Amino acid sequence: MPPTDPFPSAAAAAAPTTPAPTRGGAAAVARVEHVSKSFGSGDGRVDALRDVSLDLRAAEFTAVMGPSGSGKSTLMHITAGLDQATSGRVLLGDTDITRLDDTQLTVLRRRRIGFVFQAFNLVPTLDVSANIELPFRLDGRRATADERAWIDWLVATLGLGSRLTHRPHQLSGGQQQRVAIARALATRPDLIFADEPTGNLDSRAGRDVLEVLRTATADHGQSIAMVTHDPVAASYADRVVFLADGRVVHEIGRSGAAEISGVMLDLERAA
Amino acid sequence: MSAHGQLRGQLREHRPSVLVAGLGTTFGVGLLTMTHVFEQTVAADAAVATSGTVSTMLDLVASVFVGLALYVGAIVTANTFTTVVAGRTPTIALMRLLGSSARDQRRAVAREGLVVGVAGAVFGTVAGLALVVVAVRVLAGQGRLPDLDYSFFSIGSVVPAVAVVLTTVAAAWVGSRRVLQVTPLQATDAAQDAPVAGGARRVVRTVVATLLVVGGGLLLAAGVVVGQADPTGVLVAFAGGVLSFTGVVVGAHALMPAVLSGVGRLFGTSQVARLAAENAVRRPERSTRATIGIVIGVTLVTTLSVALETLRTFIHSIEQDPSYAAELDQVFTTTLLVVAGLVGFSAVIAAVGMVNDMSLSVLQRRRELGLLRAIGSTAGQVRRMILLEATQMALTAIVVGVVLGVAYGWVGAQALLGSAAQGQLIAPTLPVSLLVGLAVTAAVLAGVAALVPARRATSVTPVQALAAR
Repeated sequence: MPPTDPFPSAAAAAAPTTPAPTRGGAAAVARVEHVSKSFGSGDGRVDALRDVSLDLRAAEFTAVMGPSGSGKSTLMHITAGLDQATSGRVLLGDTDITRLDDTQLTVLRRRRIGFVFQAFNLVPTLDVSANIELPFRLDGRRATADERAWIDWLVATLGLGSRLTHRPHQLSGGQQQRVAIARALATRPDLIFADEPTGNLDSRAGRDVLEVLRTATADHGQSIAMVTHDPVAASYADRVVFLADGRVVHEIGRSGAAEISGVMLDLERAA
Repeated sequence: MSAHGQLRGQLREHRPSVLVAGLGTTFGVGLLTMTHVFEQTVAADAAVATSGTVSTMLDLVASVFVGLALYVGAIVTANTFTTVVAGRTPTIALMRLLGSSARDQRRAVAREGLVVGVAGAVFGTVAGLALVVVAVRVLAGQGRLPDLDYSFFSIGSVVPAVAVVLTTVAAAWVGSRRVLQVTPLQATDAAQDAPVAGGARRVVRTVVATLLVVGGGLLLAAGVVVGQADPTGVLVAFAGGVLSFTGVVVGAHALMPAVLSGVGRLFGTSQVARLAAENAVRRPERSTRATIGIVIGVTLVTTLSVALETLRTFIHSIEQDPSYAAELDQVFTTTLLVVAGLVGFSAVIAAVGMVNDMSLSVLQRRRELGLLRAIGSTAGQVRRMILLEATQMALTAIVVGVVLGVAYGWVGAQALLGSAAQGQLIAPTLPVSLLVGLAVTAAVLAGVAALVPARRATSVTPVQALAAR
């Protein structure tokens, strides 16, 4: 079974070329500016996001929380270049992604963004190894020696070494999520988006996955944005942003699950 | 939902199966009724004394072609039902969860087969009869048929319809086997796509297929050997051909995936090619049934073309009289065109099946395509992947058919002509027009099979695709 600490410090010391953590830095890796999103028109019009502005800071693990229908998934999709905003703009680094066409967005996702979804993260016809290398291969290249070393290290650290030739259906849910995380980390993207990454897991496997994400930020300076409605999951984050009715309504630093639940309950009552 | 609305919904989902049943019936009714008409012209011609024998022969030959078309149609329909059931798994699981038995669920699917069969049979009978009536009027008007008071109704107008209903229900029953494997738990499951496990049946099938191919192969060789001394060797070879080709069809589950993988490797090692190659064999049973009908059609057409062309080349080499040779050419060309058209109809039905299989399989992979788009496949890469998948299937079916057809055609010609050639080996002649025609067919088939699914796959945003169930 996986170790409690998925990135043991000894292994971390041996890790090749890990970006230096820039803790507490004010640098924004992604900037959401006055983004609105509505679906439909006329009487059937639904405003999923209303003038949302938010900075996602580099080397920080941010959780976006909110009740169902609060717009948190829509916000993630737009910030990750998976969906178009109705108005406003999104900057990833210096790139205004709202001005990119479909192919440019695709290449951006391939090279600069990592994804971990709730389920169905892996291509069923490819084995674990090929799934992890998919972003490189879609780019028409192989991983460089440096990237290869990083991937090997990720695979070893995530306990996937004996699973490389397995197909996704031969893995447990927790293992599948670890493969998805390895794939997301492999390209060392500017930002990883995790959409309810523990939603389909039992609580133990869920804790393991959250620990992996937290360590990726703490030890390797990986910026992560996670959408969740689970206060326990959010308690692993450095920062928790609350959405309700398409607006950012509250924000707290690193907090316990009980405290986060309290904020959620207050929001529910106010609604 | 009202019973009427439900019926309409089912027919929409089964449109390709109705089309296949309809095409099969149209072909059957058309061909048998046309035969009936010809028998009347023969009977009216006092010069032909043995009209009884002639009509029996005509009926027999026509029945073989109709049987072939219905057989291919049944394979296609069984495959379509399997695919439809796979897509309905969540609904079936929900019904199971709510207390419906697996047998009830399967019977419901088989009932849909009955509806599909009847709809196709009615449509096909009307279309087939109408086509013959129009054709006969036109031909009689041109003076190419005697202007008799033809009767169009015969047993041949009813038999195909009944046969189509029966084969469609049987195919639906076979295709709905997977209903039994759906568990109520799958209603809540977001399970990964797992390959279907093969059973002991496959072992038996593989053994039977191997025996048929080996036994048939030995008879083919014996036919060539006998043919060196006597033309009756062709009869031995014919028996060997029937046996070994039955073996190929029975053992297709082993042969087709292997060839598909091989053809897939030809497309290179890029990620798109690799994904396409894996997709084409991810459900070996399904790819096999989607391609075997085309293999049957192409094999038969190629066998006849190569045999006739080799025969023609041989006759040209020994026949000195140019006018006689030209007359013979005319007969050969006409024979080949007619037979190719009759066999080719089965291939058309098989092609409908392949197009439908591609379409459904892409539809059922929406989430996977959404995932690929999310993590960095461009729309172009997804379209290329689907096109490569379709090309792989079309190419595999046609290549297997051509290889088998050339072998059978040559063995047939050699067994027939070996003695006339004083025991020399005769080189098989490959008609260029056949090869060009097949290449064009492969390209058109792949293009048509990929067109709609590729457009549909890239017309939705990754978010919509990921949300699909």
